[in-house]
Amino acid sequence: MIQLLNTLLIGITSGGICALMAISMVLVWRSTRVINFAQSGMALLSTYFGYEAIVNLKSFWIALPVAMIGGALFAAFIEVVFMRLLVKHSSSGPIASVAPIIATLGLLGIIRAIVSMIWGGQDVRIVGPLSNDGFTIGGETLVFSPLKLLILISVIVLMLLLSILFQKTNLGLSLRAAAYAPEIARLSGIKVDLVRTLGWALAGAAGAVAGMFQTINANGYLSPYSIEFSILLVSGFIAAVIGGLESLVGAVIGGLVLGVSVSFILMYVSSSLGFIAPFIILLIVLFIRPQGIIGAKAARRA
Amino acid sequence: MKAMNRRKLISVSAVLAVASLAATAVPAQAAEVGVSSSVIKLGMTLPMTGAASLGYNKIPGAAKAYFDYLNANGGVNGRSIKLIVKDDRYVPTEAVAKTNELILKDKVMALLAPLGTANNRAVASAVNPAKRGVPVLFLNTGFSGFADLKKYPTHYMVLPSYIMEAKIMGKYIAENFAGKKIGLLYQDDDFGTDALAGFKTAGVNFTVKVAYASGSQGAAAAAGWITKFKAAEADVVILFGVSSATSAMLGVAAQLKYAPQWMLGSVGGDATTIKLTGVPAGVLYNAVGFSSVPATTDMKDEYIKLFSDIYAKAVPGSAFDLNVLLGMNTAFMTAQALKAAGTNPTRKSLMAAIDSKGATFANSALVPLGYSATSHVGLTGYWVGKYSPTGDLSPVGGTYVTYTTDSGAGPVVKSTYVRPAMPAKGLPN
Amino acid sequence: MRKHKESSHLLPFILGGVVLYFLSGMVDELRVYQGASIAVYVVAIASIILLTGYSGQVSLGHGALMAIGAYAAAVFRIEFNLPIVLCFVVAVLVAAIGGALLGAAAARLSGPYLAGTTLALAISLPSLANEFAVLGGEQGLLFDVGSAPLSLGKEFTQYKWFFWIAALAALTSMWLLQNILRSRYGRNWRASRGNEVAAQLAGINTARSKILAFTISAGIAGLAGALLSMTIGTVSPSAFPLNLSFSLLTGAVLSGLSTLSGAMIGAVVLVAIPEIAEVVAERIGSSENITTNLPGLLVSALLVLTVLFVPNGPVEQHHARKAKKAAKKKELNILTKPSMEGNT
Repeated sequence: MIQLLNTLLIGITSGGICALMAISMVLVWRSTRVINFAQSGMALLSTYFGYEAIVNLKSFWIALPVAMIGGALFAAFIEVVFMRLLVKHSSSGPIASVAPIIATLGLLGIIRAIVSMIWGGQDVRIVGPLSNDGFTIGGETLVFSPLKLLILISVIVLMLLLSILFQKTNLGLSLRAAAYAPEIARLSGIKVDLVRTLGWALAGAAGAVAGMFQTINANGYLSPYSIEFSILLVSGFIAAVIGGLESLVGAVIGGLVLGVSVSFILMYVSSSLGFIAPFIILLIVLFIRPQGIIGAKAARRA
Repeated sequence: MKAMNRRKLISVSAVLAVASLAATAVPAQAAEVGVSSSVIKLGMTLPMTGAASLGYNKIPGAAKAYFDYLNANGGVNGRSIKLIVKDDRYVPTEAVAKTNELILKDKVMALLAPLGTANNRAVASAVNPAKRGVPVLFLNTGFSGFADLKKYPTHYMVLPSYIMEAKIMGKYIAENFAGKKIGLLYQDDDFGTDALAGFKTAGVNFTVKVAYASGSQGAAAAAGWITKFKAAEADVVILFGVSSATSAMLGVAAQLKYAPQWMLGSVGGDATTIKLTGVPAGVLYNAVGFSSVPATTDMKDEYIKLFSDIYAKAVPGSAFDLNVLLGMNTAFMTAQALKAAGTNPTRKSLMAAIDSKGATFANSALVPLGYSATSHVGLTGYWVGKYSPTGDLSPVGGTYVTYTTDSGAGPVVKSTYVRPAMPAKGLPN
Repeated sequence: MRKHKESSHLLPFILGGVVLYFLSGMVDELRVYQGASIAVYVVAIASIILLTGYSGQVSLGHGALMAIGAYAAAVFRIEFNLPIVLCFVVAVLVAAIGGALLGAAAARLSGPYLAGTTLALAISLPSLANEFAVLGGEQGLLFDVGSAPLSLGKEFTQYKWFFWIAALAALTSMWLLQNILRSRYGRNWRASRGNEVAAQLAGINTARSKILAFTISAGIAGLAGALLSMTIGTVSPSAFPLNLSFSLLTGAVLSGLSTLSGAMIGAVVLVAIPEIAEVVAERIGSSENITTNLPGLLVSALLVLTVLFVPNGPVEQHHARKAKKAAKKKELNILTKPSMEGNT
């Protein structure tokens, strides 16, 4: 029984963090119709911003917004400098459909190389604001701690805030309009370019939170080559696809579904399927419900 | 310098122009490849970047630190040693390409401490150092297969094999934890296969075995492992994986207040590395650990004292950990091998020197070396210790108790080996 | 008619082979080995160009398809002691079957979904080798093509033998692909890539056409995988990392995704970059941290710059510029777009 509960809790926590990553991928997708494979690199860089803030300002609660703002600014910079050039130069021609994918992959390589050049030789740690020691119930320590609770709450709050932003504000309306019908949006006076940049900035901030939380959840150790960030990229993408790529709620559900099912597979099928399990889940989702758990059917072929 | 670079640049452009099939000049003939009147060139390939590079990328700096110290003190018979390092990113294709460069372009005398089982197999098969007569000294892998003289006549192991380690662990378990429930965490590849073979020989029965795929050992995975060990009520849990797996496991265990009797394999058992990744030192307290070299914090040990001094001067700010110690120890052994190879060392005389005198080479390890004309087995055992409250591995009762064995069915015996005194100033004699 | 066309195109490939034959006798061993690596990359990049440039599907998982081919060749070599030529054929067939399966899934997916799925494949597939004993685990299987026949002389090195095999395979597959692209199938791919709906209206079964492209591309990738493992003498999971798939894609983009004949450019760059990075690093003489990460930075930067500024590849760009000049010269009033249709 306790094993079942723990397996569930492990899945929910890792799913929560990968939901954050999925949210940032969905935000980029909605604003520019690009899957940003550099997202994990951007999250990595933002986490290093956060690390520098912790070193200099000695507070996690200051470092988190610093990482978010740093991540947002960097993402906006990327959108303005790279993505606009990309749209300008290769929006037609034989590789129009694959150019953004390839460009973001290249970007990932550049960011990772530069981060390694700056911070690669050091051993870097971030200490979380709350204890990561598990809660104890009836003499049993659960795989769930104040820190993990904080992570989950943050995911939900962030999702709610973004949903309100998208559904209830003018800005949100512009964001949606620019994503679905850029020409019409432009004609109705929306500054499409600015709105797109904003979408990237939001994604950068969400990615920064994912990077910070992923790091403190895993003992706080940070390295440019860390396994945690590769796991984050792939699981974030898969979660976004499971959620249908379009929906923030879908991204969160996708993250949780992925996290929990991988956790159960590793526990009850085989612990050595660490890499294969997420892929199998992705394939199953794509075959059974190609539009994702939440998502329009047409989207997948768009 | 500049002119040479330009020439190189031009030659690279030429490469581009004719599909890299540009002719290069034949170098002046020397007595032996890689040995000039003033310099001996050695080459090393290992992961310097990428996920597998963590910790290992300190090895070249460590080896160079010792060689620089040696060169500043007269080198080997008047020759200085130059170590050329290439990044293989832990990919066999890269390892083969870079080894080709080392042998064919840089013309090194010997390869030094190449890392990884798959990489070493690929290099042995494609580059075939044996056929070229190139010595491959002191492999940085414990895979027992490389001791096979027929397949790898020019390869010399240095680390004890994983099988030896598992057998010695098995002996310790039989003597100290008889009747307890034993759990094992291992890597789902040859590293693990070797371990399983050793445990089988030692007759260890596991209540629970957990395998993980190399590269998947994050915090979430570790939480799952612990749940499994808990469910099986294991009293003793052996962590026979790489550092990142040990760290993930112990870090999460601290959060879950999960505290069985830990037993750490040497590959992932370096306290300095584990603590750097954020694991609280207290978690390590009382865990059983295995090593063949002295504890890196044992400043009473003459080697540790000297090596850590040299390293601190050469690479300021970098922690003196197990990888650094092993890198410097390998460099030190290499210097002795070159010295023993005569005033005009050749590839042949270098290997002959290790075959005949290698077993007596001074080095920091507390267990004997197994070199002879018929054996390229390196270190042959471990000492058993426990981790202190500050998380450092030290021998139980203050004296190192060492065990030796082989990679086959041979018994595990308490060793009577007494380490030779360090040569003056840590220079080859 | 068609036969005549094919044979007329065989000549340049034969000539190319003759040139390579003499060249391989003139250079040192290291360059011969690098030549073999280039030939391997040419095959791999060609398979991506076919898939992405001509049929418009993106794959981030060609490393996995190469792994399938390599493992198939090695297993058949070890278990059945198959002659080496047949091993390569097996590699093509098995990888093609894998590609057909993947292609069937891919035909339902577009751009980003396909990219992500193939990415996940590249990460997960090689680790399967640890699950089956016959695949040799992490240390991998030996794949020994043997040394060159004695009739070629004692001086004939192993690397020259690798080079000959790889170069022959590269020339053959390029010739085959060239002809496939000129056939009905090639036209179908280009048609569906441009406008899927229009192609369907014209009676092309676009789904089947896409799966066929995936199958052929995977077969060629499988050949490349077997060749790659020949040059490293072994097959192991770590030989097919995610980075390999990325590098190949980089090579394909540098070559110009829509020009098969450009495959050489990307292949040469991939092999030359580490050496160039070494020279650059030596020149600026900076810290180890910077020098070790320089090759990675260069490759990625080159990729991004190419996508941004030469999206159709250097060959195409050159053609386009020439066409533009010619058009200006003749004072034609037609707006000449950069050629989008590949080498028609």
